[in-house]
Amino acid sequence: MTQPVRLVWPLVLACLAILPLVNADSYLRHVVIVALLYASLVSSWNLTLGVAGLFNFGHMAFFAIGAYAAAISTQTFGLSPWIGFPIAIASSLVASVVVCLPVLRLKGIYVVLVTFAFGQLCYQVVLNQRDITGGTFGIVSIPPLQLFGHSFAENLNLGYYYAALLLLVLSTAYVKRLIASEFGRTVIALRDNETYAVSRGVAAARNRLLIFAASGLFPGAVGALYAFYVRSASPDLFGFSLITLGLSMLLVGGIGTLWGPLIGAAVLTVVSELMADLGPARYLVIAVMIVAVLRFFPGGLAGAGLPLARLFGRATGKPREQEH
Amino acid sequence: MDWIDSILAAAQPILVSGIVLASLYALMATGLALVWNTLGIFNFSHGVFMTLGAYIAWQFADARGYGLGLSIGIAISVAALAGLGVLFNRLLIAPFLGRKDIVLVAVMTTLAGAFFLENSALLTWGPRIKQLERILPGNIKLMGTAISLHEFLIIVLAPLVLLALWAFLKWTRPGSAIRAVGQNRDSALLLGIRVNAIYALTFAISAALAGGAGVLLGAIRFITPTMGTEPLLKAFIVVILGGLGSFGGTIVSAYLVGFMEAISTFFFGAYWTQAVMFGLFIVILVVLPRGLKGRD
Amino acid sequence: MTAPLLEVRALSTGYGRTPVLHDISIELGQHRRIGLIGPNGHGKTTLLRAISGLIAPWSGDILLGGTSIVGAQPAQIVAEGLVHVAQANALFPHMTVQENLRLGAYNKRARAKSDETLERVYELFPALRERRRQECRTLSGGERQMVSIGAALMAQPEILMLDEPTLGLSPKLKKELCSAIERICESGVPTIVVEQDINFMLRLTDYFYLINQGQVTAEFHADQSLDNRQIMDMYLGLD
Repeated sequence: MTQPVRLVWPLVLACLAILPLVNADSYLRHVVIVALLYASLVSSWNLTLGVAGLFNFGHMAFFAIGAYAAAISTQTFGLSPWIGFPIAIASSLVASVVVCLPVLRLKGIYVVLVTFAFGQLCYQVVLNQRDITGGTFGIVSIPPLQLFGHSFAENLNLGYYYAALLLLVLSTAYVKRLIASEFGRTVIALRDNETYAVSRGVAAARNRLLIFAASGLFPGAVGALYAFYVRSASPDLFGFSLITLGLSMLLVGGIGTLWGPLIGAAVLTVVSELMADLGPARYLVIAVMIVAVLRFFPGGLAGAGLPLARLFGRATGKPREQEH
Repeated sequence: MDWIDSILAAAQPILVSGIVLASLYALMATGLALVWNTLGIFNFSHGVFMTLGAYIAWQFADARGYGLGLSIGIAISVAALAGLGVLFNRLLIAPFLGRKDIVLVAVMTTLAGAFFLENSALLTWGPRIKQLERILPGNIKLMGTAISLHEFLIIVLAPLVLLALWAFLKWTRPGSAIRAVGQNRDSALLLGIRVNAIYALTFAISAALAGGAGVLLGAIRFITPTMGTEPLLKAFIVVILGGLGSFGGTIVSAYLVGFMEAISTFFFGAYWTQAVMFGLFIVILVVLPRGLKGRD
Repeated sequence: MTAPLLEVRALSTGYGRTPVLHDISIELGQHRRIGLIGPNGHGKTTLLRAISGLIAPWSGDILLGGTSIVGAQPAQIVAEGLVHVAQANALFPHMTVQENLRLGAYNKRARAKSDETLERVYELFPALRERRRQECRTLSGGERQMVSIGAALMAQPEILMLDEPTLGLSPKLKKELCSAIERICESGVPTIVVEQDINFMLRLTDYFYLINQGQVTAEFHADQSLDNRQIMDMYLGLD
C-alpha cells in the first residue's frame, strides 16, 4: 500500500476518537455506538463464514448467548458487571466450540442447518426457562457498567462509546493478525482447496475447531457490552432478522476481506437509521440490497472495484471463486 | 390393569394430535424437498410462503377483507402462491445458477426473500392477529378424542394431496421432467427439456403446497407475520430425517416427527417440546447425516 | 449451392477463463458421417457441448442448415433435430429404462412418433425391452449406453452426435453396441462421432478431423489409403 492509503484507517480511527469531543447529539452517539458494536460482531463472524468458508449461521446466537450470560450473571445472580463480562465471553466461546463439534463431520447445507438449529434450540430454551431468562419478555434493568464510581452511561454514554471503540480496535487488530498468521493462511488454504491442503498434511478438523473458537470470543464480548448498554437482553436476539441484518453487512462490505465487514457495518447501520421513519419498510430495502449485492457485486463494496473501496479493501487471499 | 388403561387413554389424544401435526409437516416438507431435489437449493422462504398463503386467503375470504368467501379465498391464495414461487425462482435463484457457491448464495437470497415478505406482511396486514374461518365447522370424535372437523379434514386431505403430487411426478410429462432434471441436469438439457421452465414449475408447486398448508393452519392457529417460522424449522427436521432427496422418506419422516412432537408434548410439556425437537435434530444430523434412507 | 447441414466457423470457447478451443472449423454436409479424433482433453467433447448449446461460444459461429444457433437454448437445438449423446452418460439413474426412453421424445416433433420409435429402439436393443421396468442405476455400463443412444433416437435426430459411445465397455458388449451404432449410421442419419477406436471409427465415418490442442490439425477422407500407423502417428501428434 502507498503511504497516503496507509493513513486512511488511522485517520478514521482518530476521527472516531475525537468525535465525542465535538458532538453533543445523543442520537448520533447512539448510532455510532451501534455501528461500532456491529462492526466487531460481523468482523468476527467473517472469520468463520468468510475467511474459513464455513457455512456458520450460528454467530448471532453466540452474540445472544453473550448478552444473556451477562444479563443473567448480573441481574439474576447479582454479580458485578466486570465479572459478567468474562462469563459472557466464556459462554459464547463454549457455545461456538459445542456447535463446531457436529459441524466437523458435516458439509455444505448440513452445516447451515445445524448452526441454524442451534440458534433455535437456544431460543426455545430461553423461552422455556422463564425463571432465569424472563421468557418472551427477556431480562430488563441490567445494571450499567461502572468504573471508579462513574457510570458508562454518563455524558451521553461516553463510557460505552469508548468501550465499543476499544472493542472494535481490539477485534480488528486480532482479525488482522490472525489472517496474516500461519494459522490464518492454513485456514484460507483449507477453504480454497481442501483436498490439496489436507494432502499437504493440514489437519482440517483441528483447524476448523480453532477458527470457530477464535471467532467465538468477540460475539460474547459484544453481547455483554450490548446488554449493559441497552440494559436488557431479549429473545429477539436469536431471531432471523438479526441474522439477516448481520449477513447483509458482511455481503455488502465484502465477505472474506479484512475491512469489508467494517465498511458494511457502518454503511448498513447508517442506511438503516436514515430509513428509521420507514419502520418495517426499511427491511424491504435491506433485503433488496442483499440480493442486488450478491447479483452485481459478489465481492461486496470492498471487492466491487469502486476506487474508494479498493483503497480500503485489502483482500485476504483471493476472493471466493465466482466463475462458472 | 389400570396402568394399561391409563396409557391407552393417554395414547389416543397423542396419536390424534400427532397425526394433525404430521399432516401439515408432510405438506410443508414435501415442497421443501421437491425444490431441494430438483434445484439443489434449500429454500428459506418456504415458511413465509405458508404465512402469505394464510394472509391472502384471509384477505379475499374474510368479511374484513374483500369478503368473497372462503373457497374463492383459498383458490386465489394457492394460485397467487404458485405465481410467487415462479417470481422467487426468477429473481432469487435463476440469476445465481451455475455459481460454485450456489448452495450458500441461495441460503442468503432466500433468507433475504423471507425477510422481505415477512416485513411486507407486517406492513400490509399489521401486527394484529387474524384467523381464517374453518373449512368445515363442527367437531368429530376420533379415537375417543374430540377434534374439529377442520382438523379431521387436514388429516384426510394431506395424504390425498401428496398422492396427487406423487402421481403427477410419476405419470405426467412435466412430472417426469421434474424428476429427470433433479437426477441429471445436463442430460435433461440434451434431451430438449427446458430446465429453467422446470425449475419455475417446481418452485410454483412447492410454493402452492406451502400456501395450502398455510390456509389449513390459519384456521387452527393465529395468522401472524411470523407464523411460518416454526413450521419451516420443523420441515427442516423432517427433510433431514427423511434423507435429502427421497420423496417417500420425507413423508414417512413427516409422520414420525409429528408423533415425536406429540409424544414429547405429552411427557415434557409444550414448553420443552420445541427444545427437544431441535436437540433431536442436531443429534440426527450428527448420527445420520443422510437420514433414514441413507442415500444422498 | 445449399448450405451444409452443420457448420462450425472459427469457434473459440472454454470453461471459466480457461480457453479450450481456438478458431476451430468443421463441416457436416458434403460428408454426412464425420469423425473427430485426437488425444483426450484436447477439446472434442467441448466442441460437441458448444454445438448443442451447453456452453456458450466466445467467438465464431455455429450454423445449422445455414442459420446460426449461437445463443439458442439446448431445447431449441434439440427441437431442430440436432441430438447429442454425451460421454459416459447415465441419464436418469432413479427412473426406469422406459421412462428414460420416453423422456427422449420430450420435444413436440418427437412426441407424436413416440410409440413407433420406442418399438424401433427395442428392436435395435432387445436387452432394453427385457429391462424396460428396471431402474437405470441397476443396469450394466453397456446397457446404460444403449439407453442413452435409445433416448437420443427417441428425439428423432436429423443429426446425431455420439461422444465415445463405447468408452469403458467389455469387448463383447462393445461388439454388440458397435453393430447397433453401425445400423443407425447406415440408416442415413448424418452423424458426428468421437471415438478412440480407430478401426471402429473407420467403419462408421467417411471423413475425419484430427483435433489437437483445441485446433483442427488435419482432416482427411477415410478412403485415403492411410494405414493405422499413420493415423496413430497423427493421433499422437508425431507428425
